[in-house]
Amino acid sequence: MKPKLIFGVLAIVFFTSLLMYNFGNSISTYVNFEEAENRTTSHVIGTWENSEAHGFSRETMQFSFHMKDQDGNVRRVVYPRPKPNNFEQATQLVVVGEMRNNVFHANEMLMKCPSKYNDPSQLELVNAQGG
Amino acid sequence: MIATIGHLLLSGAFLASIFAMILYAIAAVKDDIKIERISHWMWGIKGLLLLASSAILIYLIMTNQFQYYYVWNYSSLDLETMYLFSAFYGGQEGSFMLWILIACVVGLGLIKWTRKPYRAPVMFVMTLTQFFLLSMVVGWDLNFTQIGASPFRTIAQEMPNAPFIQANPDFVPADGSGLNDLLKSPWMMIHPPIIFVGFAMMTVPFAFAIASLWTKTYHEWIRPALPWTLAANLSLLTAIFLGGYWAYETLSFGGYWAWDPVENASLVPWLIGTAGIHAMIIQRKSSRAHKAALFFAILAYVSIIYQTFLTRSGVLADQSVHSFVDLGLYGQLLSFIVVMAVMGIGFYLYRYREIPSPENESKFLSKEFMTFTGSMLLFILGFVIIIGTSSPIIGKLFVPNPTPPDIQFYNDWSMPIAIIMAFATVLGQYLFCQKHTWESLAGAMIIPLILTSTATVLTIVFGDVRSLYYMVYIFAGWFTVIGNAAVMFSLIRKNPKLIGGTLTHIGFGVLLLGVLASSVYTEPLLDREIRNYNARIAAGDVFDEEGFPVTQQVEMFSLEIDTPTLVNERYIVTYRGYELSDSPRLGQQNYIIEFEPIDGSRPFTMTPEVYPMLTTSTEDNIDWSVDPHVRTGWFSDIYLYVAGSKYVAQKNEELERRAQRNTMMPVGDQGEEDTDIQSIELTMGDTVAAGPFTFSFINFVPASEEVLPDNTQIGIRALIRVVHEPSGNAFEVEPLFAVYTENERSYTYSPPLKIDRWDMEVLFTRIHPESDSIELTVHGLDEEFEEDWILIVAEKKPFVSVVWLGTFLLMGGFSISIMRHWRREKDTKEKE
Repeated sequence: MKPKLIFGVLAIVFFTSLLMYNFGNSISTYVNFEEAENRTTSHVIGTWENSEAHGFSRETMQFSFHMKDQDGNVRRVVYPRPKPNNFEQATQLVVVGEMRNNVFHANEMLMKCPSKYNDPSQLELVNAQGG
Repeated sequence: MIATIGHLLLSGAFLASIFAMILYAIAAVKDDIKIERISHWMWGIKGLLLLASSAILIYLIMTNQFQYYYVWNYSSLDLETMYLFSAFYGGQEGSFMLWILIACVVGLGLIKWTRKPYRAPVMFVMTLTQFFLLSMVVGWDLNFTQIGASPFRTIAQEMPNAPFIQANPDFVPADGSGLNDLLKSPWMMIHPPIIFVGFAMMTVPFAFAIASLWTKTYHEWIRPALPWTLAANLSLLTAIFLGGYWAYETLSFGGYWAWDPVENASLVPWLIGTAGIHAMIIQRKSSRAHKAALFFAILAYVSIIYQTFLTRSGVLADQSVHSFVDLGLYGQLLSFIVVMAVMGIGFYLYRYREIPSPENESKFLSKEFMTFTGSMLLFILGFVIIIGTSSPIIGKLFVPNPTPPDIQFYNDWSMPIAIIMAFATVLGQYLFCQKHTWESLAGAMIIPLILTSTATVLTIVFGDVRSLYYMVYIFAGWFTVIGNAAVMFSLIRKNPKLIGGTLTHIGFGVLLLGVLASSVYTEPLLDREIRNYNARIAAGDVFDEEGFPVTQQVEMFSLEIDTPTLVNERYIVTYRGYELSDSPRLGQQNYIIEFEPIDGSRPFTMTPEVYPMLTTSTEDNIDWSVDPHVRTGWFSDIYLYVAGSKYVAQKNEELERRAQRNTMMPVGDQGEEDTDIQSIELTMGDTVAAGPFTFSFINFVPASEEVLPDNTQIGIRALIRVVHEPSGNAFEVEPLFAVYTENERSYTYSPPLKIDRWDMEVLFTRIHPESDSIELTVHGLDEEFEEDWILIVAEKKPFVSVVWLGTFLLMGGFSISIMRHWRREKDTKEKE
């Protein structure tokens, strides 16, 4: 019984550490544009900087805009899809991708949208989805 | 008024659940049948109160009483009747109510069918869960704290500080904000009820497990619990299927599964429930695995509560499109999960030493060992997914501010686990029918192995599979299908009632094959230009305007109207324009795209849609949403949506212009209309450019008598060729010019000729005999005119049908097993 128990415990410890190691590697932390320079994939949270040019180019098939991260760094972001339609309304953007030569190449973009009711009582009436 | 009644009824149901809980506890401790009977009545009363209060909520929704926050938030005037029911469970509060209602019905079933000694303790656990669930919606505003969020609260109660409420406390919005357009789907109508049937039924094995620990009867509980667990699993599976199918048909991420936290929330209980079923079956057959059966029965329900906590407490708010609005239920949800986990796991550990355990170890080559392996693997897979889904909590151990894990994390773990499971299913099924030694097993497997190898080789050759990993996976998939099918054939001859298990395992194998084919071998459909461009990107030859290399492949292509385009060297695709339609959604465009396979098979038409999201669009900003078209085939699906179009671009520009006008010129100005009339002078053979168009005067054509007015002196047509230069599209028109007399005066007659597609009218307005030239007048000539175009994202997904087939086989297998176990339960009951 004893050696078997030890084997079992070792197997569980091994499995759990492998799982947690792998899990730890597959998550990352939200960073700013400067930190993103030295990473392969980064998640950056920020807001759209609408004073700079933006638009979708049908030639390069890319949507390009400038984003200001939470520490105030502004960088150009390119996104290989058309402009998401609720883009202008978003109060916050999350871009996932890679920073190369001061341009952020986003593979994914998530938008956090405000309520449609202009309700100042900081209530977010985001439409919840059942399911 | 009526809402107050609803609120009171809900409070009554909550109180009834407390009474019932206490009474059931007493009945269980004292073993008093009289008290138990009273508790049953309390359960029934609670159900009726809840039913009445749900009816009131539905009534409020039906009668559009938007002063109630819930009604305003999830319904609107234009909602079709059938979706008014969806609005009932579209939000947090209503979906809790639906869950409780279904659990009530399940409780009635338990009262009727459960025997002593389990009935009172089982019902105690059921009422305990009801107590917690009801507390989420009871909406009691105690002075020191708030319990639950009532669906009957008014907008004024919800946001007392809003200016429009302070200005007018009786404010009633004219219209509701409406059900999310994406949820207006028949699939989404039946999906939530079915998932709550699953959740409610999964409470039953949990309740039986607690009852078994309570009464210290560790053998008998699985017999009544097994059919319920199977039924819970069938419901969850059906709900997962419906959710996946809906996501595939209506969302634009292009698949049926994305490892989204909410999808995981229904998958994990299913996996652990299935682990529990395996353990229960070993216990029933061989009187082993008591500990595992109890453990998984407890864990399956705890995982449901845990995932409910994750999705409803706001923890996942940033990570999932699915997550609910945070209603401030964090504390209540947390206590729910803690109480359930402590009660379940704690009680289990407390009794651990008493739970029977087998005296001897099972051999490796035994049905017990194989089934137990399957059970453990299902549990491990569930555990891995829980870890991944919990990243906002567990991730904090590694990094501050954790992001969700890469999809790769889930794939990396589930694939090898699935491969081992696949082999275990076949060995387990062989050993279930008959005891085997290694030699006899090898003998029995010769034919299935030959068939499996053949199928695998054929798949590898025809599917052009290069990865060794996938080859092993494909082998495992085919082995599961063929091995289990062989077992099934021999079972059909012996006892066809027993095929449920093998059928589910065949379904699992089919699912494995389908998942790989449809996800890894999906290919984007692109035209030649984009394909070449992507090839250059891959080679590193493309640079952006700042000189940096472009690395992202383009996943879409554009189509110009009536211009056939060759796509993937397989189809000639032609965009035929769009139709505006206000049904079923206001302002919707139905695009028409023709596909003509070049191998000569039948042409077909795809009709994706784009529409404004009603719930989030405003007058100044339209939030466009796409509705993909999926063409389902036996061998492959074509999935396609319109990512952009001239219509949408123009609409957006219009809105932008209007917004600018509104800010810069508050006083209306309507002077723009007449500027698009243009005169063009042409001599025969001449070509003149105007904007993006050219007009060529080719020849005079005689006009026929009948179109001319009376007393015509001159009547002539001019043959004009109009070309849109950027696209090369051309039309020839023959406008008429006539001079006639009436009352001794001369008049000219120049009827307009319309070119519908360009919304342009051409008039032949004058002849200059002296210079041999004519004058055309053109209305609606747009200087910036461009031909209609659309941007398309399209994918060819092989064998999605196989994924559905696998799911249906799983469902079929579960159904057969439920019938079999249920019938046996009934038979033994009748014998007693």
